[in-house]
Amino acid sequence: MTENTTETTAEPDGNTTADPTNDEMAIETDVASATDGQNSTATPDPIIRSRDLDVFYGEEQALDSIDIDIPEKRVTAIIGPSGCGKSTFLRCINRMNDRIDACRVEGELTLRGKNVYDPDVDPVALRRRVGMVFQEPNPFPKSIYDNVAYGLEIQDVEGDYDEIVEQSLKRAALWDEVSHQLDSSGLELSGGQQQRLCIARAIAPDPEVILMDEPASALDPVATSQVEDLIEELAEDYTVVIVTHNMQQAARISDKTAVFLTGGELVEFGDTERIFENPDHQRVEDYITGKFG
Amino acid sequence: MATQNDSSTAAGGFGRVSRTAGLLFRYLLLAATLFGLVVMTVLLLYVANDAFQPLTADTGWHLTYLATLLAPAFAVGAHLYRTNAEALQTGALAVGLVVVSLLFSGGAALLLVDVVVPLELFAVAVAVLAPMAVVVAVVSRDRALSFTAQFATTVAAFYISLFGLPGPLESLLGLPSVVPSLVDAVLYAPYAPDPWLAVTLVVGGSVALAGSRFVAADRGRRTQATVAGAVLVGIALGAFVGPLLGVDPMPATVVAAVGIAPPAVYATGVAANREHERIGLLLPAVVIAGTGLGALATDALGFAGPDSWVTWAFLTSPHSRFAEQAGFYPAIAGSILLMLAVAVLAFPVGVGAAVYLEEYAPENRFKRVVDVNISNLAGVPSVVYGLLGLGIFVTYLGRSAGTILVGGATLGLLILPIVIISAREAIRSVPNDVRNASYGMGATRWQTVKNVVLPRSFSGILTGTILALGRAIGETAPLIMIGAPNVKFAAPTALGEAASAMPLQVYAWSSLYAGEEFYQKVVPAGVVVLVVILLAMNSVAIVLRNKYQTGE
Repeated sequence: MTENTTETTAEPDGNTTADPTNDEMAIETDVASATDGQNSTATPDPIIRSRDLDVFYGEEQALDSIDIDIPEKRVTAIIGPSGCGKSTFLRCINRMNDRIDACRVEGELTLRGKNVYDPDVDPVALRRRVGMVFQEPNPFPKSIYDNVAYGLEIQDVEGDYDEIVEQSLKRAALWDEVSHQLDSSGLELSGGQQQRLCIARAIAPDPEVILMDEPASALDPVATSQVEDLIEELAEDYTVVIVTHNMQQAARISDKTAVFLTGGELVEFGDTERIFENPDHQRVEDYITGKFG
Repeated sequence: MATQNDSSTAAGGFGRVSRTAGLLFRYLLLAATLFGLVVMTVLLLYVANDAFQPLTADTGWHLTYLATLLAPAFAVGAHLYRTNAEALQTGALAVGLVVVSLLFSGGAALLLVDVVVPLELFAVAVAVLAPMAVVVAVVSRDRALSFTAQFATTVAAFYISLFGLPGPLESLLGLPSVVPSLVDAVLYAPYAPDPWLAVTLVVGGSVALAGSRFVAADRGRRTQATVAGAVLVGIALGAFVGPLLGVDPMPATVVAAVGIAPPAVYATGVAANREHERIGLLLPAVVIAGTGLGALATDALGFAGPDSWVTWAFLTSPHSRFAEQAGFYPAIAGSILLMLAVAVLAFPVGVGAAVYLEEYAPENRFKRVVDVNISNLAGVPSVVYGLLGLGIFVTYLGRSAGTILVGGATLGLLILPIVIISAREAIRSVPNDVRNASYGMGATRWQTVKNVVLPRSFSGILTGTILALGRAIGETAPLIMIGAPNVKFAAPTALGEAASAMPLQVYAWSSLYAGEEFYQKVVPAGVVVLVVILLAMNSVAIVLRNKYQTGE
C-alpha cells in the first residue's frame, strides 16, 4: 500500500474517473465506502461464476449447490470453519481436484463464460490461465531464477526471460532481497521469502486469476503482513481468490467475502465491509464474532 | 491440603514398577540385531587372515607400520574426535575417497587397456558433445522455437554426428556415404590424439568439470574455469610422471584422473570452502605419509612384509594350475563388464517402470496386481532367473552361451524388481507439495516428471540401483545356468565374448581345483577382492544417499 499514500487523503467521491491511473485507486477507496448503499462496487462482469456447483468425495458431499459471482480484478476472500469446503471450491476453479481420484464435480463453474468442466476443456491449459499459491511455501529445489522462470519454460512463453523474472520478483516485493543471489537455491530463503517467491512464480506467466489457499497460515506475523500488502497490490492487475481461516486477514485485504459454513454451503456472499459489520445471517454473525468455528 | 498429600506420598516413595521382562526383551532384541553382523564379521576376519597372512610378517614390519601409520593416525583421529567431530568426519571421508578412487581407477584402467580403445572413446565423446553444443546454441539463440523444430534439430544433429548420412542404411541399401559421421571423421583424421591425450580429454575433462563445480561452486565462472584447467593439466602431467615410475602414459592418466584427482579436488574444496573442517585433512595426510614412510622404512631396514595372497600379481594374472601363480584378472574384468551391461539394461527399464507405477498408473486392480507381483519377483530364486536367461537368450534367441551380453541381460532381469522397488521408494519420497506446485503452474504430467520428480529423486534412484548392482555382482547360480565359463585365461575384450566373473572363479577354485593351497589361500584372496569391490560400490551409494538426504 505504500505506493498509494498520496491517494489515501482523497475523498472517495472526489476522484475523477477520467484519469485512468486514478481509476484503480477509485475502486479501492470505493470499497471502503460500499456500506453506504451506493453500490459503487457495481462490479464489472464476474470473471468466475458458479451455478449449482456440487462436489463429492466418494459418497460424501463437500460442496452443496454453490452460486457465486467473483468479480474481476478484486480480492475475493473465502472464509469458514475447517472442513467447510472452502479449499475444495478454490481447487475447483483450476481443476486441481482432478488429481484426486474420488472427487466428482457437478453443476456449472465458468471462467469468462466458459464452463471449465466442459469435456473440451484441457485442465492443463486452464491452469496456465489460473495461477495458484499454496498453503505451505513450495518452491522447487532449483535456483530462484529457475523457480520464477518455471512457468515461462513449461508454457513456452515468448519474451525476455531475464526481464520477466525481474519484473515478477519486483511485483512480489522480493527483488531487492534476492537480486544478488538469483542463482542460489529457492530453498535457502526464509519462509516468508519462499512464499513471495511462489507468488512471483505464479504471476510470471501472467495468469488472469490467482488462487491462494491460506497463503500466510504458515508464516510469522511480519511475513504475513508483507504477503497481505502484496495481495492488495496484485488486485490492481489480477483477480485474486484467497482462502483464509483468519477473519482479520479477510477483513483487511478483501473486497468481497464469501462465508462457507459446515456442510459445504455458501451462506453469505457480499462486500467485505458489509459481511463483517452487518451480515444478513445470524450464523454468519456467530461465526465472525467467534461464537463457533 | 493438596501439598500435604503430595509431600506425604513423595516421602513414602512412589514404589517400584518391575522392568525385568522389558529388560530381558530389550537385550534379546539387541542380540538379534547383532547376531548376523557378528557372525559375518568373524567369517570375514577369518577369510582376510587367510588371504593376507599378516602373521607371516616380521615383527619389525608390524612395529614399523605401528609407529609410522597406525599410531599417528590414531592420535590424530582421537584428537579430532575430542575437538572437532565434523572435521574428523571430513577427514575420514577423504581417506575413504582415496581408497575407493584408487580401486575405481584400477577398474577404469583395466577397461581402457583391455576393452575400450581410447581413441574410439574420444571419437564418440566428440560426436556426442558436438551436436549437444549445436542444439544448445540453436535453442538459446531462438528460445521460442517450437517443440517440433527443437526435436528435429536435436535428432538430426545427433544422427549425422553419430552415424553420418545416410547412416546405417548405406550398407543395407548399398548407398554411398555422403557425409561421414563425426565418429569416423575423428577416427580417420590425419592427426589423432595419443591414447593418453584422448583419455585426459574425455575422462579427465569430466572429472575436471565436476571437480571445479565442487571447489568453486559459488565463485563465478572464471574461477571454475581456472580450477578445471588446473585439474586437467594435473591429469595430463600423469602421462609424463607415470613412465618415470614404470607405468605407461595411458594407464597413468587414468589413475591420475579417476584415482588421484577426485580426492585431491575434494581436499582442495574442503581447504578452500570449509575453514572449520580444514584441520580434518590432517587425517588423510597422516595416513598417506605414514604408508609411504612405512614402506620406505621397512625396505631400508629389511623387514619382510606378510606373505599375502592378495598381491599385484594375483590381481593382474589369469588362473593357473599352480596356486602361487593363480590370478583373478579375467574374472575381475568379466565382473566389471557384466556390471556395466547390467546397469545399462536394468536402469532405464527399472526407472521407467517405477515412474509409470508412481506417476501415471491409475489406482485400480491392475496396479495392485502389478504391485504384488513385482514384490514376488524380487523373491524368486536366482537360479530360476538363470533358467529364464538360458531359455530366452541362449535357446530361443540363439545367442552364444555365457557371453557378457547374455549374462548382463540375465542378471539385469534378476535385479529389475529390486531396481523398480527402490526407484519407486525414491519417487514416492518427493513431497506432493512440489508436484502440486508444478501442476498448479499448468505443467503437464510429463513436464512435472521431467522437471520436478526425476531431478529430486535421482540420487535415491541411483543409490537403489547401486545397491541392486551389488546383489548382481555376487550372483553365481544364474551365470552357471547360462553357461558362463568358470575359468577364462584372458580378459574379455568385447560384449559378445564369453566371460567369467569373480564369484564363478571363486566357486571354480573351491570345487574343481582341489588342493590345500587353493582352498586355504587362493579362495580367501578371491573372496576378499570380491567383498572389497562390493563394499566400495556400496560406500558410494551410502555417501550419495547421505549427501542428498541432508543436502537439500
